[in-house]
Amino acid sequence: MGFYRNHYDAVIIGGALSGLACALDLQAGGMKNILILEKHNLPGGLATSYVRDGYEIEATLHEMMGIGSEEDRLKIGRFFDDMGIDIDWMSVPEAYRYVNTEDGTDITLHAGFERMSEEIEKQYPGWGYAVLQFMEFCNKVYNSVNELSVKPAGKIKMLLRHSEFVKTCGYSAEEVLQSFGFPKEIIEILTPYWIYVGHPMKTLPFTIYAFLMADYFRGGSKVCRNFSHEMSMKMERKAEENGAQIEFCQEVAKIYAKNGRVTGVGTARGDRISCDYVVSGAYPNRVYGSMIEPREEVPEGALRMVNARKLSVSPVSVMMILDGTPEELGIKDYNIFSGDTMDTEEIWKNYHTLGPYRYLTSICLNLANPYCTPPGKTQFSITALPLADPFFYVKEEDYFALKRKLAEDMIASYEKMSGNEIRSHIEEIEVETPITVSHYIGAWKGSVYGYSHSMDDHVVARIQMKDEEQFIKGLAFAGAHGISGNGMGPAITNGRAAARSILSDFAERAEGMKDAAESEFAEERLEDAVESEFAERSEKEGDAE
Amino acid sequence: MKIKGFFEDIRGASRVTELRRENFREAPDTPIRPDPIRKLSDQLHPGRRPYYITDIRKSSETAKTFRFEPVDGHIPPFQAGQYVSFSLAIGSSVLTRPYSISSAPYQARGQKPFFEVTIRRKPGGFASEWFLEQAEVGMKLEADLPFGQFYYEPLRDAPRIVAIAGGAGITPFVSMAKEIAWGNLDLDLTILYGSKVHTDIVCAKELAEAENTAREKRSNDLYFKGSVKTIPVMEDDPWWPGESGLITRELIERYSDGDTSFFFCGPQPMFPYISNIMKEMGVSGRRFRKDTASQPADASKIPGFPKDQIGKTYKITVVRGIQEEEIPARADEPVAVSLERAGIKMDTHCRGGECGYCRSRLLSGDLFVSPLGDGRRAEDKEMGWFHACSSYPMSDVKIKIAIL
Repeated sequence: MGFYRNHYDAVIIGGALSGLACALDLQAGGMKNILILEKHNLPGGLATSYVRDGYEIEATLHEMMGIGSEEDRLKIGRFFDDMGIDIDWMSVPEAYRYVNTEDGTDITLHAGFERMSEEIEKQYPGWGYAVLQFMEFCNKVYNSVNELSVKPAGKIKMLLRHSEFVKTCGYSAEEVLQSFGFPKEIIEILTPYWIYVGHPMKTLPFTIYAFLMADYFRGGSKVCRNFSHEMSMKMERKAEENGAQIEFCQEVAKIYAKNGRVTGVGTARGDRISCDYVVSGAYPNRVYGSMIEPREEVPEGALRMVNARKLSVSPVSVMMILDGTPEELGIKDYNIFSGDTMDTEEIWKNYHTLGPYRYLTSICLNLANPYCTPPGKTQFSITALPLADPFFYVKEEDYFALKRKLAEDMIASYEKMSGNEIRSHIEEIEVETPITVSHYIGAWKGSVYGYSHSMDDHVVARIQMKDEEQFIKGLAFAGAHGISGNGMGPAITNGRAAARSILSDFAERAEGMKDAAESEFAEERLEDAVESEFAERSEKEGDAE
Repeated sequence: MKIKGFFEDIRGASRVTELRRENFREAPDTPIRPDPIRKLSDQLHPGRRPYYITDIRKSSETAKTFRFEPVDGHIPPFQAGQYVSFSLAIGSSVLTRPYSISSAPYQARGQKPFFEVTIRRKPGGFASEWFLEQAEVGMKLEADLPFGQFYYEPLRDAPRIVAIAGGAGITPFVSMAKEIAWGNLDLDLTILYGSKVHTDIVCAKELAEAENTAREKRSNDLYFKGSVKTIPVMEDDPWWPGESGLITRELIERYSDGDTSFFFCGPQPMFPYISNIMKEMGVSGRRFRKDTASQPADASKIPGFPKDQIGKTYKITVVRGIQEEEIPARADEPVAVSLERAGIKMDTHCRGGECGYCRSRLLSGDLFVSPLGDGRRAEDKEMGWFHACSSYPMSDVKIKIAIL
């Protein structure tokens, strides 16, 4: 007797947040016969933790956005509520402290548009109100993106109701910030989060930047009391309760296709499993590069797409348990972004090396979650987010030494910036690199952020080209390589989008009918809206100038 | 509101889409090149691979050293003190067993790479018995390495280590000693090596060699910083001329000097004793490292183990995928052992409850989880996940494990 059923409606490759969210939405849409195959021996992908000498250590950059408070639930928070998943969220105290060791900038900002703009007003008199307006502007873009992603807008509505979104979507974060007339120092203190979407400001779509800023500063971010593993486990349990079969330690090696449609998957162990849909957590690079079987089923367009796209960053993270309380160690901030420049182009260049890295994020988890260590200890991490490229040439015998060098550099840099000596307090230390990510979750080139959010791979373009990229029927992708890109919240959004595309095909096939209304904000709509506004607006603008 | 101009602004979406479409059109349709990061991570963690036994030699009256050479010519780099996990098929059982690597990391590099383990006879030890009695040169075994965090970490540890070894616990320190003598570890290592009688001492020759080599190199080379010293301590050997009795606080203090890290590797019952000495000496957590120890073979030695369960038998319903099967189990044996006896594959690594490779799900029934080295995550404890190598059935149980 085999370990699997004869046939599944859908096989999901990867039990990380995206795959689990996809399963939950498929189940909500009526699909019950689902198999999730996870490479590692636990769910969550990077949203996980590990134990060293009795200490549980968070494995990610921790913060979950899109949750909101119980009164003002945001998108991801609502998803968990709707699914009946109850997570013990703990609020992160501040958005960030930002320290520039060269120009002396040092400011701490908290969530809440008014609060953060007041904090800016205090240090930069006269700019608080402009920042508040800017944040509200970002919030409009944020609302539009969320609204449009579930409900496409009518023709005129697009420009009237979503004009901030429509009008900024062709510009980079830098261009829009400059159009607000902000001086260099204000732009600098509004920039630190850029690294959480992994692309320099000059070519980072404003849409993504605005979404990020509004999401973080509106709701603040959260961490789980029992680490990210809590969220992953609760999602996994719910998917299982809803009828999914979930198997760990199963790496999928092959995706079988016939006449342009998936027919099943093959595991590294040798099982061959039949299904109607495949949701891949594996990157398109790997899927089209080596998984699709037979190879003739890989369309030329898929190869061009993969070859055209650039991967975003990977982590180098030093994770430590320190002997001493944060207070004893002089650690006062949950999150500090620090470096000797906020020129993101410069940092980007530096992130194409093996360090020392010039822009770091340090996080003291205890200040968000006091239960994350036994009393008297501190959980502390320092992270840089370089590109994987410089790691391509690392030799296996140099790897341990390289990890130590990276860690030494980052610890020294943190100590110099903060004046806190931590080196003599290290009780546990682990260094995570792109190689670690590759080993545990199998992500292509150890990438954690998917494809770079650049102007030439814009999220809006990704949405509009969605149907053109459906190279093989029945195949969907769920992971950081999805439309919304990286982060734990977007991972969930990507998984849900994959479920939507499958459910619409599922319904179509079931009813034998086409339903063209599925596309989210299809290109025609946008163009129609633009055209219809042209006549009226062009006159007015002409007058104004 | 406008950014650059109404027309330019509202055409943004079309502009970025055209740009992206254009890029895709112009990109080559050449095959996707392999992932170099995955290649490196596969070199570092190749998983279970075949190795030949190429040498077996006696390293004491009761122990042998086994040399392994890779069938495919490659051994992943490891750090002195880490362990290897072997897969064995003995009779109808399939099992995995960890052993500290006793050879040095440098010996696994170069033209003729190998690694060694030194195994001492353990009464009733299923795997050690097999190695000492059945294993022969030329045999092929599956092994997976490296694992464990029991190595010198210069970012944390003092460059002066006092190692406290009990019995077979000497092996990770043999690896460290050799690596120091080779010149790859700038470390001052003093090993307090506790044995019952002098005939139990393993790798005596190798430790002495490492000590001499390091001494010679230090006197000839200004930049050579390593040193090795071994102090055998006989617990119960009236004719032993050196240190005798238990390893005491006084003895440990005599060999400690300034900022010292203490590394302990030995049988589980020795740990509380040494741990207590560390506490008395005021050694901080970061200066006291211990290697993972297997759960005691005698379950009644585990703190809190319900004595009335000794000798009781139960049934385990094992769920793998949609398959279910029932196997017999003893209350005083870890779930992992019952699975091995039934010939059901389970990938255990540390056998001490810590590493979590044997993480499994309890569907119904009761388990006793050993408090020794309980490495479960907080949420796993709340949601009924357990580590099979350190959990004991206290009733009939139903569990779900990975399909291997």
